[in-house]
Amino acid sequence: MTDAAGIPHLEIRPEGLFVPAFGAFLDPHGPAARAIVSHAHSDHAAAGHGEVWGTGSTLAIYRRRNPEWSGGARPLAFEEKLEAAGVTLEIFSSGHILGAAQIRVSGPEGSFLYTGDFRRRPSRTAAPAASPVADVLVTECTFGLPVFRFPPRGESERRLVAACRAAADEGAIAVVLAYALGKSQDAALVLTEAGIPTVLHGAAWKLLPEYEQAGFSFPLSRPYDSGPVRPGEALIVPPSCARTSVVRALKKRRIVYLSGWAMRDASRAEHDADVLLPISDHADFDELVEHVDAVHPSRVWTHHGYARDFARILSARGAAAAPLSEGGERAAEDA
Amino acid sequence: MGSPYRGVADALEGAAATRGKLAKIERMAGALAPLSGPELAAAARLLSGSPYAEWEQAVTSVGWATVARAASAVTGWDLETIGASARAIGDLGEAIGLLLPPEASGRSGLEILEVDDRLRALSARRKAAEKAEIIEDLLRRASPREAKYLVKTLSGGLRVGADLATVEEAIAAAFGSPREAVARARRDSGDIGETAAMAREGRLDEIRFRLFHPIGFMLASPIENAEEVAGELSLFAAEDKFDGIRAHAHKSGSRVALFSRTLDDVTAQFPEIALALGAAPGQFLLDGEIVAWKDDRVDSFFRLQRRLGRKAPPADLLAEIPVAFVAYDCLASGETPLFERAWTERRAELERIAAGGGFFLSAVRDAATPAELEDLFRAARERGNEGVMLKRKDSVYLAGKRGRAWRKWKKALATLDVVVTAVEQGNGKRAGMLSDYTFAVRDGDRLVNIGKAYTGLTDEEIRKMGTRFRKITTARYGPVRAVAPEVVLEVAFDTIQKSTRHKSGYALRFPRIVRIREDKLPAEADTVQRVEEIWRGIQGM
Repeated sequence: MTDAAGIPHLEIRPEGLFVPAFGAFLDPHGPAARAIVSHAHSDHAAAGHGEVWGTGSTLAIYRRRNPEWSGGARPLAFEEKLEAAGVTLEIFSSGHILGAAQIRVSGPEGSFLYTGDFRRRPSRTAAPAASPVADVLVTECTFGLPVFRFPPRGESERRLVAACRAAADEGAIAVVLAYALGKSQDAALVLTEAGIPTVLHGAAWKLLPEYEQAGFSFPLSRPYDSGPVRPGEALIVPPSCARTSVVRALKKRRIVYLSGWAMRDASRAEHDADVLLPISDHADFDELVEHVDAVHPSRVWTHHGYARDFARILSARGAAAAPLSEGGERAAEDA
Repeated sequence: MGSPYRGVADALEGAAATRGKLAKIERMAGALAPLSGPELAAAARLLSGSPYAEWEQAVTSVGWATVARAASAVTGWDLETIGASARAIGDLGEAIGLLLPPEASGRSGLEILEVDDRLRALSARRKAAEKAEIIEDLLRRASPREAKYLVKTLSGGLRVGADLATVEEAIAAAFGSPREAVARARRDSGDIGETAAMAREGRLDEIRFRLFHPIGFMLASPIENAEEVAGELSLFAAEDKFDGIRAHAHKSGSRVALFSRTLDDVTAQFPEIALALGAAPGQFLLDGEIVAWKDDRVDSFFRLQRRLGRKAPPADLLAEIPVAFVAYDCLASGETPLFERAWTERRAELERIAAGGGFFLSAVRDAATPAELEDLFRAARERGNEGVMLKRKDSVYLAGKRGRAWRKWKKALATLDVVVTAVEQGNGKRAGMLSDYTFAVRDGDRLVNIGKAYTGLTDEEIRKMGTRFRKITTARYGPVRAVAPEVVLEVAFDTIQKSTRHKSGYALRFPRIVRIREDKLPAEADTVQRVEEIWRGIQGM
């Protein structure tokens, strides 16, 4: 693909994006001596780093998910500025999940903004996304095609509550398929607000202390291993559980799939779902374009998702955009 | 004002969104109930996925590119974006629905008769540009949901988990007609639309079977061995399973029509059969097999293949590879349809008609025990046939249905151990997953491709394999990833053919993945020599 030389203060190395001034990789794919981790999803936060820089929440979740890890942690606060060799590193909220950050590096060569994963529309548990300006934008584009325009989140949340209530009325258990970090907790909060008790899969349950630490509470939630799911409760599990005994054991069930991929009718069959709700922690197509406009870069590099297509679409709108080749490729599981 | 197409689109969306068959039927019945006459007929056909009645044997025949071009003009998105969107979503119609501008949601939309008329007009247009113009006009006025189902209808796949039988049941539910009467009327008229309109008026009885309207084929369920039917053998009659082209022969006076499984008229390809049947006395509809014929017996399918697709076969080919019709069922005789008569009765009528000549009659045999059935199977194979068919003597002919009244037993070929050399994303349900594998056999130190398989693994396995393939990707060519040759699969297939498409010089027909051979190294995969051996075996060489 295109040679990415020319991004100020950034090198593309086989291991990932490298910021020489700080001797650190951005979301490296494998273990690195020093990693700046935008957020704690496993496709961005590889295990086994020597040193991890990230927000307090990101570090706490990283520890929880990697109990064996004994490296050094450097907490970063939003809008905090770090200086090294005349280069400044700052992090800003990305609105993706609790603790998720965008990273801006600026110096004499100019500036770049690395979005990590982001969402511009308000979220329940992530701080509102910032739009820091930069000369070069390295943006994710998980949903970088115009078919991915999500309905308003409020509407989808109302449908989530309605689907759980309808299941209860039919004497069925509502099974909510949601990624363990981010969407599960958001779904639990939506249902808690509606007075619907929730049972959480262990992978999501074990992260609640970090959410409580950040000021959220889950008075109507309990872990899956605390007893069988009862009618009236909603079971929240990762999408990979849809076809396992956890879900299959429930005789009467209504499966609700929460994901940007729920825009596709095919996801009904893939996840055995009764209800498809396009709720995502990622920007939809319009938000991706809005973000480019707001950051106002002179050059855009696209990665993670429909990189080639989104770059072409941006180019057609007059932006200087190209897909970024980083060697390895990762599949987003958190969409 | 005519009735809106919206009702049809909403019913299809509703059917897609519900799992239960009854709920799907209810949605469709709800859309049909308020309609009558031509609107009802058109709506019933559109719910079943085509503007055409089955007997018309017509398809809208609009290419993907034509639809995409029209969508591009309407949405303002370039063709590449439309193509990428369709791949991402897994369905062109769904993608186009999502790409329509937001104001499209407020449109009053299209009318049923207008959609019916315009879709039918498509097959009358020859030029892609003229077709695109019609589609563009429809898409400009359609709501997103209407656009979605319009395009799905054009592409020949609604994919809402409903079939003709579902629409039959919806008609029965909407107008209080007996299900069997609806099914019979649909079969005899070859038109779900006419069936719906007549059901509403309580006149289903007036629909009569018509010769020369193609009828669906009754299909058999497979068995793997004789033991499977051990307890019920006395109920069945056995016949050889011929390796030919299944066909229905309609005949009245000297007029003959041969319809294939796809309900295509293939009469012109087999003039000697048409001539022979045309000379026989009477009027009838037979079910049977078109086979290559040599020395008073069925010849191999591989010779028959050379006759396929030749609209007007040249005289030397007719002389070299003569064909014949082997009949094994009689579905109508004179003015009387026999679908609802027992197989025994139909067989008796078939034998009576066979006395007039013009075709061959399949031999019927009995097997009282699994051992006897195995003997029949072996004998059938020795005669060069595929295996045996079992038909329940008391069964009626269920046109267009696969049931347990007919069973087929054919021998599976050997499997091959192959190495995956490239993978790409699937379409439809598997869009976004690396589900299509290209695979190779060994040829000395090289690997030579022999085929591509799409099915056989569960979604979970595909996902796992996808992660692995992403790791061992060595190069990317658009959607295709070349992968390091590490993964060995065992594949089954229907047959092997010579082919120039793959480097090996052979192609597998209907390959499917049996299992992932984690226990085998690429160096242990089968060789092109082994492939040739199997191929020779099939040829009887």
